Amino acid sequence: MSEQLVKAFVELDEGGVLKLVEQRIGAGEEPLVILEDCRQGMTEVGKLFEQGEYFISELIMAGEIFKQAMQFLLPKLAAGGPAARGRVVIGTVKGDIHDLGKNIVVTLLRAANYEVHDLGVDVPPERFVEVVKETDAKVLGMSGLLTISFDSMKRTVQALTEAGLRDKVKVMVGGGMTSADVCQYVGADAWGADAQAAVTLCNQWMEG
Amino acid sequence: MDKETLYQERLQRIEKAINLEPVDRIPIIYLGPAFSPRYMGMSLAQFCNDPEAAMNVTIAAMERLGDVDGLSSLVPVKFHIMLSSLWLSRVAVPGRDLPPDSLWQIREAEVMKVEDYDYIIEHGWQAFLGYYLPRIVDMAEFQEAMAWGMANVRRMVETFRQHGFVVVAGGATTIPFEYFSGGRSMERFFIDLYRIPDKVKAAMDVILPDLIQTGIMLSRGSGVPRVWVGGWRSASALVGRKIWDTFVFPYYLQMVNALAENDIISVLHFDQSWTRDLERFREFPAKKCILNPDGMTDVRKAKELLGDRMAIMGDVPASLFAAGTPDDIYNYVRDLVRDIGPTGLLLSSGCDIPVNAKPENVEAFVAAAHEYGVVH
Repeated sequence: MSEQLVKAFVELDEGGVLKLVEQRIGAGEEPLVILEDCRQGMTEVGKLFEQGEYFISELIMAGEIFKQAMQFLLPKLAAGGPAARGRVVIGTVKGDIHDLGKNIVVTLLRAANYEVHDLGVDVPPERFVEVVKETDAKVLGMSGLLTISFDSMKRTVQALTEAGLRDKVKVMVGGGMTSADVCQYVGADAWGADAQAAVTLCNQWMEG
Repeated sequence: MDKETLYQERLQRIEKAINLEPVDRIPIIYLGPAFSPRYMGMSLAQFCNDPEAAMNVTIAAMERLGDVDGLSSLVPVKFHIMLSSLWLSRVAVPGRDLPPDSLWQIREAEVMKVEDYDYIIEHGWQAFLGYYLPRIVDMAEFQEAMAWGMANVRRMVETFRQHGFVVVAGGATTIPFEYFSGGRSMERFFIDLYRIPDKVKAAMDVILPDLIQTGIMLSRGSGVPRVWVGGWRSASALVGRKIWDTFVFPYYLQMVNALAENDIISVLHFDQSWTRDLERFREFPAKKCILNPDGMTDVRKAKELLGDRMAIMGDVPASLFAAGTPDDIYNYVRDLVRDIGPTGLLLSSGCDIPVNAKPENVEAFVAAAHEYGVVH
């Protein structure tokens, strides 16, 4: 059954995934096990993306199927399921209202069992700092499509430094025109060329 | 040299580059709709709301930058109206929704609904626009802007000519994929491609002839035998192979072919990476399009695969203009000329020169293009 569910995920067979989840819940199977299989399916899709077999459209569809499966599973999970792998604060920076890339990252991180605090778009530096402090998050993700986002990212990193938080949180940036040069310019720890890179970076940092 | 002689010299240079013939100097093509007003001290609000002022400030910026050959594409209507039309989306406008000197931004949302595909299939594109546009634009402003554009576009092209500048693309169109991706929002649209592929395709097939006709009409209206054909969400990096082969490439092929049959060259303004599928571009008719990537497509691979078929225009990345140094720009242009030139290359920015480009970087681009682009 586990293999079948993972396979249906990889094939982006929405109907197949939902039917299997329903059947397994109906058969009295532990929801946590089913959830783990769904996560495994997402991991496999992520691997295919990294190998250049799958592209953003497949990530989006897999994320949508995961969300649908969660609607079945979440009410059945006692106390919301297993402990999260870690906390991530994320948002599109001040001056930029594009949330598409950021939303894909949020879906993928949640599917990978991260507790994600999504601050939305046009987020000022002080708001990022406030939530990083409140949540004690280990990772801050900043997104921006436009080149004007670079200076907002830089100001946010400066605000983290001024608040004495810079060495407590890893900073990743992504979206639009970000690059290694931009990463260096804004003072982030890493940048991601795509949404899946955010998951890979968080996994590395949590293991490290 | 008088302006008309200069214009003729530049036009010939550009046409030779497009035809993959030897040039005396690699043409330098400017595109900086948000940079021009910032560079010249005009608010972005005025740039958006006054197309006459937008034209004048673009010419002033080009003249200040020095000896550039042409403008990549002309927008003869209010800029935000053009954006709303191409994206089927609301746009946050400086001076109205945003502070006067902020950059305009697409407000991506699911404005177009799934049932709108049915409306398109049943009633066609023109009827759909009449029914849909009030959701994203003020119709009085839209109609006034379109009427002004139609009445003035030829004069605008002529004004550029009087200043010695060639307008490379005189109108804009794109494939159904891009319109739907904007109207539905990318995430919902990509899900549609998996959930209801037949319906989406049927709607695409209905509107493609209208979108081709738009390109032909805009070219005829402006008198410029080249049109901008955009691509951003339909890029290879964003969509799976099967989707690209079904919903993307066949539509570009039909559009480029139809435009070519009407003696119109397609300026393929392709953002994001198209590297995976570059080989397919060989199916486009030779010398009937220009590939204009944004720095994310492997431009060297493009030259290798397509160098005998189409010119390449680009591709200094927007991020380099904003965050790089004049030395970075110099090095980028030098390498571009060495690897892509001297024939079949037009030096330009990848996508637009951004609003926060450092002026010294844009000036360095023009200087570097002169230093490295002269063919001995």
